[in-house]
Amino acid sequence: MWPKSKPYLMSLPALVVIIVIFYGGLYEGLIQSLGYFPAAGQSSFSISAYTEILRSSDFWLSFWLTLRVSLISTMLAAVLGLVMSICLFMLSKTGSSRWIPFWRRWFQLPFVVPHLAGAYLIVLLFTQSGWLSRLAYHVGIIDEITDFPILVNEPFGIGVILAYTWKEAPFISLILYPVLLRIHDSWHDAARVFGANSLNFVKEIVLPLLMPAWFTASFIVFAFTFSAFEVPYLLGVTYPKMLPVLAYESYSGDLADRPEAMAIGILIVLITAVIGVLAYRFGRQWLTASGRGWL
Amino acid sequence: MRRNKVWITLMIIIMLSVILAACTGNNSAGGKISDKDLLEADWSEVAKQAEGQTVNLYMWGGSDSINQYIDEWVAPRLKEQANVTLKRVPMNDTKDIINKLLAEKQASKQQGTIDMMWINGENFNTSQESDLLFGSFTGKLPNALEYVDLESPDIANDFGIPTEGMEAPWGKAQFVFVYDEAKVKNPPKSMEELEQWVEQNPGKFTYPSPPDFTGSAFIRHAMYETTGGHEQYLDELDQTQLESKLDPLWDYLNRIEPHLWREGKTYPESLAKLDQLFASGEVWMSMGYDPARATNLIENGTFAKTARTFVLDGGTLSNTHYLAIPFNAPSPAGAMVAINYLLSPEAQIAKYDPQHWGEDMSIDPAKLSDEDRQKLEAIDRGPATLPADVLASHRLPEIASSYVSIIEKGWTEHVAKK
Repeated sequence: MWPKSKPYLMSLPALVVIIVIFYGGLYEGLIQSLGYFPAAGQSSFSISAYTEILRSSDFWLSFWLTLRVSLISTMLAAVLGLVMSICLFMLSKTGSSRWIPFWRRWFQLPFVVPHLAGAYLIVLLFTQSGWLSRLAYHVGIIDEITDFPILVNEPFGIGVILAYTWKEAPFISLILYPVLLRIHDSWHDAARVFGANSLNFVKEIVLPLLMPAWFTASFIVFAFTFSAFEVPYLLGVTYPKMLPVLAYESYSGDLADRPEAMAIGILIVLITAVIGVLAYRFGRQWLTASGRGWL
Repeated sequence: MRRNKVWITLMIIIMLSVILAACTGNNSAGGKISDKDLLEADWSEVAKQAEGQTVNLYMWGGSDSINQYIDEWVAPRLKEQANVTLKRVPMNDTKDIINKLLAEKQASKQQGTIDMMWINGENFNTSQESDLLFGSFTGKLPNALEYVDLESPDIANDFGIPTEGMEAPWGKAQFVFVYDEAKVKNPPKSMEELEQWVEQNPGKFTYPSPPDFTGSAFIRHAMYETTGGHEQYLDELDQTQLESKLDPLWDYLNRIEPHLWREGKTYPESLAKLDQLFASGEVWMSMGYDPARATNLIENGTFAKTARTFVLDGGTLSNTHYLAIPFNAPSPAGAMVAINYLLSPEAQIAKYDPQHWGEDMSIDPAKLSDEDRQKLEAIDRGPATLPADVLASHRLPEIASSYVSIIEKGWTEHVAKK
């Protein structure tokens, strides 16, 4: 009896945390999105919050903006993260290894900066009265600081994309690097014996092995950028807002708007889940076709 | 194997203790007077019960000078005089406090973590409607009875809602505009002049987008001036009546929009962002619901030394802000003692001093002793704070808080989307 139940018992603390905090919050959000909120004297169920949101053009504008910004950020971060980790790896295979620890730390630097601080850094650097603009003005590249291109708080979301790319690329490379470390030195040598140069080695051996981990890491980044609040709050525009900011705005408004705020939250969860399933389906075919990689 | 057992036992103990800790909660009351009887008890008994208690003050934490006033001026004195420990818990938005209490109410949590909170207007309205408050305690506080003019309409009503003693007046705030003397010679003193000013100075003005508190207040000023004065909003209006009056306001805001910062395509999301734009010179005006804030920001080096404030000729909004005790405060006696101290002449005069905070008192200067009044008159309010009589003669009342969210939504619909 004891040995059998042991693994369950061992995982109980983690499970309790996940069930209570994650699913509990999701459940609360769901019933509040259906209009059930006794503390504010509402105790009937209805889906009116959902129908109202799905009919409003505000929601759809926010949806397309959020989708576009998070897709672009994810792709940039994924490519950059991949290049970073492969560069580090090839450096350790071919070059002198003295500088490797330094470069690793250097690439991991954005890791220690919280998203909010990262977003604020973007504000300080890239606004028209920011450091870069002032530098360009003093050097004489631009005549007025208002000549500096508008990169933050503009409708395309450049600032948000910059912040996310800068923050998430190290995350992707952090996930990829342990996979790379499992590649034996001898494989590189063997590949060279068969006449492969470094580029062939990366293309034929390293990349296929990395695919599954790369794919998973990218999806995590997508799910995060699709639903995180602080970066678009600081770097977005007044209208249209990105979905998490839209949800927060109705959350901090009237109590009567609470179901709508929760409904937006639930929709964010659903959309990410659907995209996750699609990505998995699509990815599985693609991955098995090009040979199995490591996770 | 034996080792594993040790770990498992340890884990079970930790989990059990977490569960037990979550279940105990209410047992610590143990004192002489139950919470509900506190409102009937003698003040001396309340003070006795409060001794040794620790109270958590949840409040908006966005101002260094206010935070320092609480942490460095109030807390040590309160500890010394009443043996109550005051802990400040900073919040980004007062609404988060209300949301926390609502969640606790929903979960029937009878012992919360908040002993007192800094609120007014909409948040008071919500807490009143959802029964989030402890009770009518203001009438019990000796300092409130002695020094506060509890009958005066701007203290007895919070954004048009009678306070009924559920919250105690802590201070008064008034809206002022901030400008830089070195860049703007004659600041616009009405919405009409502001329109001309933004046309002549394109891109140099903007306001925070609602629901930011300050941005929302700016829009109410424009509303008063473009729709024919504030008096009409003191009557009770339903949503359609209110909305039918607002067309001139949206017209006005849309007329100035192309001349604003970034041609009005986006607005700063918070007052902090507007302040930053002002400090870096990207815009030439800022604003705020605190007449002394500009002085404080000059002193800490954020704003240029030439920053000054002004009020509109037609007046600016003013309101009273309050301290309240939530329904599930762990130490209501301590909270009452702390609030009583915050209403003492000593604490209020220090708060009036720009070295600490610089905002208006909630107590009535006429009720002070001669000695205290002299102290009050000796305080220099700093270069960027307007004299008290100028502020006092330019005060406009706030509207009912239920109108505020209608106007904020109208702004998104009529101005932000266009």
